[in-house]
Amino acid sequence: MILLENVYYKYEPEGIEALRGVSLQVREGEHLALIGPNGCGKTTLIRHLNALFLPASGKVTVGGHNTKDPKHQADIRSLVGMVFQNPDNQIVGMTVEEDVAFGPENLRLPTVEIKKRVAEALGRVGIKELAYRNIENLSGGEKRLVAIAGVLAMRPHYIALDEPTAFLDPAASIRVLKIIDKLHSEDVGIIHITHNMAEAALTQRIVVMNEGRIYLNGTPREIFGKFSMLKQIGMQLPPITELLIKLKESGFPVRTDIVKMEDALEQIRSLADKFKV
Amino acid sequence: MYHTGSFIKGQSLVYNLDPRIKLAATICLSVFILWVKPLIAFVIGSALFCVTLANGISLRTIGQALKPLLFFIVLIFLVHPLFNEGEALVSIPYLGLSLSYTGLQQGFFVVWRFLCLLVAAILLTLTTVPSQMIAAIKYFLRPLKLLHVPVDDIAVMIMLALRLMPILLTEKERIETAQKARGYNLRQSGFIIRIKAFLSLTSVVLSGVFRRADELALAMEARNYRRGERTSLVELKLTSPDYFVLTFLGIFSVIFIALNCCFG
Repeated sequence: MILLENVYYKYEPEGIEALRGVSLQVREGEHLALIGPNGCGKTTLIRHLNALFLPASGKVTVGGHNTKDPKHQADIRSLVGMVFQNPDNQIVGMTVEEDVAFGPENLRLPTVEIKKRVAEALGRVGIKELAYRNIENLSGGEKRLVAIAGVLAMRPHYIALDEPTAFLDPAASIRVLKIIDKLHSEDVGIIHITHNMAEAALTQRIVVMNEGRIYLNGTPREIFGKFSMLKQIGMQLPPITELLIKLKESGFPVRTDIVKMEDALEQIRSLADKFKV
Repeated sequence: MYHTGSFIKGQSLVYNLDPRIKLAATICLSVFILWVKPLIAFVIGSALFCVTLANGISLRTIGQALKPLLFFIVLIFLVHPLFNEGEALVSIPYLGLSLSYTGLQQGFFVVWRFLCLLVAAILLTLTTVPSQMIAAIKYFLRPLKLLHVPVDDIAVMIMLALRLMPILLTEKERIETAQKARGYNLRQSGFIIRIKAFLSLTSVVLSGVFRRADELALAMEARNYRRGERTSLVELKLTSPDYFVLTFLGIFSVIFIALNCCFG
């Protein structure tokens, strides 16, 4: 389990606090979305999860290890993998295989084990055929998958993804989201920063951040049910929820805490039956 | 597009050789090309070109790699016939210059040697995965560990340099395009303005590079990178083709040294 207790963080001693008393629990195998306006502290928060940033005050523990304890930082970084927003800033190797091997090489694993892990990680994200390709010749979506494979090769229990679908076309976004879903089904805990509400709606829990604090925390239904609170901080709703709210405002008796397409279809069908359309 | 550290996946004797053999052979060949008599250098160079083409590296790829150096190649060639004091073939009276036959010959051989060195480097980089090359460099630097030289860190530095080079070029092109898109036309500007523009471009590219380097350092830390010893994906193992090439190179080195001495 990952546990954050009253965490404060400042980038500069005289600067403003990027995190202000954040407390949060992430269970193993959980899929959590982290949303909030730009500059609210989402990236700062996930960088605390694998000891890249250490809290100025408060405590972060991963699998029972305090991130401030230098003896356990290597274990923590193996437990929590981090996928950065821009894969070009994360990819170290010249070829796909080389980059995926970077983590296991740092873990000082023997060559046979490194090869095994590289093949396994590439297989998990479905890019085995790209193993010898030069990174510079890959598309944005493929680079994103390489970045995920690089983290998976370290066999983490959790993966923190910073806007994994940013700058991708719809097809590449769907491919990345399917892989995230598959990893979740394999019991990998996912902490997923996103600005896309439809993506957030597919997770088990949403944490909304604002000005360095946790603003809301609950299931997608609970969160998107509080649409006035979300609007207050400039957040939008998933298009489906937005549509149902508009229908309700126009006098149609529909529920507005719907976040999934199937549930929305059900609502609209029952509405059509009621009005005999 | 070819750039340093490019690799083209292929199957041939050279592709499958141990990177240490390839690196050592390239260094030996380069020394030979610079050291031996022009005629022998011509024979070695021709053989090198044939090996390169036989490995599926097209003339187009070689051309692409040489394109950025074309200016220097032409300059190296021209310097010799223009400034060599031999029998003049053609005179340019207004400039007080003349083209000499000996100079032309010299220019040809100097450019040939230069081209051979470049082709050897192209053959090495296009047939060797960068990680294998780094493993080979690390292997040859290993004795320096006794002098406490951080060989593993040097290997990572080489890897990062190879990775960042194409990123830097892309960044430079991106900024240049952005400047042009906002009506910045350098072709119509004077020398001083061009220098100023170059300095401003350099500072923007550098600040971007430092930002990127910071982020990359963080990403490496996130993947458990620590200074010091690391294991490697690459397993260096000599096989029978390596021994064959090693013997072949040994025999030919002796022959070429003997020929060089005889013709000397």
